[in-house]
Amino acid sequence: MIDPSMVPTIDPNPLPAPYWLFKTLLLITFTLHIIAMNFMLGGAFLAVVARFTSKGKEFRNRIFLDLAKKIPVFLAATITIGIAPLLFVQAIYGQYFYTSTILIAWPWFLLLVLLVVAYYGFYYVTYNGQRRPGPAGIVLLVSLALVLIIAFIQSTNVTLMQTPSHWAAKYFASPTGWSNNISDPTLIPRYLHFVTSAIAVGGILLVLLALARWKSDREYANYLFQYGGKAFMYATMAQFIIGSWFLFSIPRNFRMIFMGDSPLASALFLVGILGTVAAIFLMSGAIRKQNIRVAAYGVSGLLAVVMITMILMRDILRDAYLEPYFHPHQFAVKTQWAVLPVFLVLFLGGVGLWLLMLKRYGLFSGNKVPPTESLPTEPAEPKAEIVG
Amino acid sequence: MNYPIWDVSFGAGLLIALVAGLHVFVSHFAVGGGLFLVLTERKALKNHDHALLNWLKSHTKFFVLLTVVYGAVSGVGIWFTIGLISPTATSNLIHIFVWGWAIEWVFFFVEITAALLYLAGWDKLNPKLHQWYGWIYFWAAFASLVVINGIITFMLTPGSWLDVHKFWIGFFNPTYFPSLFFRSAICLALAGIYALITASVQKDKDLKARIVRWGALWTIPSLLALIPFGYWYIREIPAALFLSARGPMPTATHYAFLAWSLLAVTIILMLLALFTPRRMHLAFALVIGLVALGAMDSFEFVREDVRKPFVIENYLYDNSLYANTMPGDGGFTVDNLDTVGVLHSAAWIDQRTITPDNKIAVGHEIFRVECQACHTANSYRGIHQLLERRQWSPATTRAMLTGLSLMHNGVMPPFAGTDPERDALAAYLDTLQTITPKAAAVDGKVIYQNNCSMCHQDHPNDQFFTGIVTDPTAAADSLKDLTTIFPLMPDLKLNDAQRTGLVQYINTQRPPAQHAQLSPSSEGGK
Repeated sequence: MIDPSMVPTIDPNPLPAPYWLFKTLLLITFTLHIIAMNFMLGGAFLAVVARFTSKGKEFRNRIFLDLAKKIPVFLAATITIGIAPLLFVQAIYGQYFYTSTILIAWPWFLLLVLLVVAYYGFYYVTYNGQRRPGPAGIVLLVSLALVLIIAFIQSTNVTLMQTPSHWAAKYFASPTGWSNNISDPTLIPRYLHFVTSAIAVGGILLVLLALARWKSDREYANYLFQYGGKAFMYATMAQFIIGSWFLFSIPRNFRMIFMGDSPLASALFLVGILGTVAAIFLMSGAIRKQNIRVAAYGVSGLLAVVMITMILMRDILRDAYLEPYFHPHQFAVKTQWAVLPVFLVLFLGGVGLWLLMLKRYGLFSGNKVPPTESLPTEPAEPKAEIVG
Repeated sequence: MNYPIWDVSFGAGLLIALVAGLHVFVSHFAVGGGLFLVLTERKALKNHDHALLNWLKSHTKFFVLLTVVYGAVSGVGIWFTIGLISPTATSNLIHIFVWGWAIEWVFFFVEITAALLYLAGWDKLNPKLHQWYGWIYFWAAFASLVVINGIITFMLTPGSWLDVHKFWIGFFNPTYFPSLFFRSAICLALAGIYALITASVQKDKDLKARIVRWGALWTIPSLLALIPFGYWYIREIPAALFLSARGPMPTATHYAFLAWSLLAVTIILMLLALFTPRRMHLAFALVIGLVALGAMDSFEFVREDVRKPFVIENYLYDNSLYANTMPGDGGFTVDNLDTVGVLHSAAWIDQRTITPDNKIAVGHEIFRVECQACHTANSYRGIHQLLERRQWSPATTRAMLTGLSLMHNGVMPPFAGTDPERDALAAYLDTLQTITPKAAAVDGKVIYQNNCSMCHQDHPNDQFFTGIVTDPTAAADSLKDLTTIFPLMPDLKLNDAQRTGLVQYINTQRPPAQHAQLSPSSEGGK
């Protein structure tokens, strides 16, 4: 174990609000960030697969084009929402966060360079997917590879920040910021666990797109549904192997927190596993019966619950790792009452304005199909069939 | 030393300069360009100028692709970079201003959404609603400047925050408003300059001319407004601090000169563009952009340089030591290090004792934790280059470390640590000097520049020129042991010829009044 004196001391300024508030904001904004990230990463992955398997399958090419248009928006959301958890994690876990990022400083810095390149790549595909499907496919593949590398750097940082005992050896071997954390047995399974769940959520994104087109373009919507639903099922089934690998890679005393030692953590774990199993069966049944609503509402609802349990378990695991060094009572707290209400009011106002912007744009009215793409105005299919 | 130091061989400061220097040039455009979009749309609709409207559509795409992608990511990039290079400062700023940043995040979120919808809405929304998104974009972008400006200016002029530690006192600090006006003018100026870039590739020459004239209308008055705002800004910076932008501190002085000159060049180029608007070529637009980038980054360099040696003025040194002892400082203060030593305070060093064998290695570690926030061994602000130029003896190097805080009008922090630690650092620095000193110079000017000009100013009123007796022989005698004049001066051990040379140089630099008195007497002595 590292000499605890290597863990940097907190700076002299007190925490400007209670610890629990930062923790709550961290977990909520991180969850939203992960959802956006999953849509982006999973969407990009499924778009690449669709593009490179589209020979003779016109619908696959449409999936590629449909997704390509949405990925930059999801990436914008990922980055924009991601700033908040990045802020709050520094407010309460700063000593760990800064130190681990310094150890991997160059990858951490280059992450942003990769991000800019990937981002412009996604925009290139958005604007050129139709006209130049060949190059666009390759650019999309490159951008996907770059965001996968970024995800790996993020996983490296998270595993490193919660293991201070690994810091000194890495730093004194080389202070140039080129360390890695490959020697941590949890890194690879943890990374694969996150990436695979992103693919599963990407599948749900396609199911939601299918729902939006269910009335207007049933044949294509049904194809989307099958493609997305199966992607969700296969990726989630793979999690039973990858997730177990991850579970057994973490030290036994941490694993046992989720297997009896802590009732709350164990309950979360159980809900997560049962929710995942239920989601697979529900999706399988929905595909068989062509019931888009069950897939779109039922499975996503279950998935949201599973995701929340996973985020909470992730947090419990981090605090378990840091238990020898980190305790919330280490913080001096002096709430900035002169600013905090300003933030809360502006936050609520901002969310309201944001919703109003989406509403006035017509994003809630179902009037999404632009005139150029609008289809012949056939009467919608009878409602019974949609449900049945 | 509370945090590990990232060893960036070419210079950590250079990396921040690179990331921030390009970011500000896009982020200020992101604010001013927002207002430009919506007002240009209004103008085009009012005049039924379809050509202008079509150009504005493509300009919007350019604007969004540049600001939403590069602008946003490079902004996060500054944050990443300062966290890697100045984690202590970042941690302090986060704990002081986390709610400020959280507020900025809300504006940022609204801003990005509005930008994407404004771009996507060109062909979908009625003009009134479309402009509504444009206005929301602009005000959200401006509000994010309003917030971040409080944090940036706080670092230079924390003002009475240092006593009361209250958020709004630190936020609305002495340079808050001049900086806000100054930066707002930059935003508007850049809106016009960037418009030239997309205008220059238009085939319709009448359209091109209309855009160039319209852009110049944004840029020229804004650039002129920078002059009074700049003076206001300077007046609010404590005079002693701004001294380093006029004195011998090389970087700040050069950049202050560059900032004003490049500003003048930008104005002249814009006037040229205004007189030949139909001939605006992409290359010319890019030249104007580059000159403006140079002017803007020079201003940012001056702001950073006059703040030295602090990252938060009078609170935290660039090398992450606190200026004063306070609860929670972790012992990372100059006073504590002078008493306890670096080796027993810093967490991230490998050696805890100094032996003859490890002296240079310890010196290197001390260099890393105390100096490398700004300097490198032989690259950006390299000590190697500095020593090669000055040709100090090991004894001089060691002595210079004692009076470090007097260098360049106080832009260096004091050396913090014990005497053996300073010796170890000096021993390491000596290894960076690879050429053996040439035969001792006797030219007074060279001696002055190599040994005296770090602390003394090239100004007749500096003590250096006024404080020494006028009689040449007595003056030369007084230079035998400099430490008797002032204990923090190095004992240069100058020989007779060198002392005479130095006195001759001093006599040429004295204030005219003294010089006049001196001449007859020295002539009389012959």
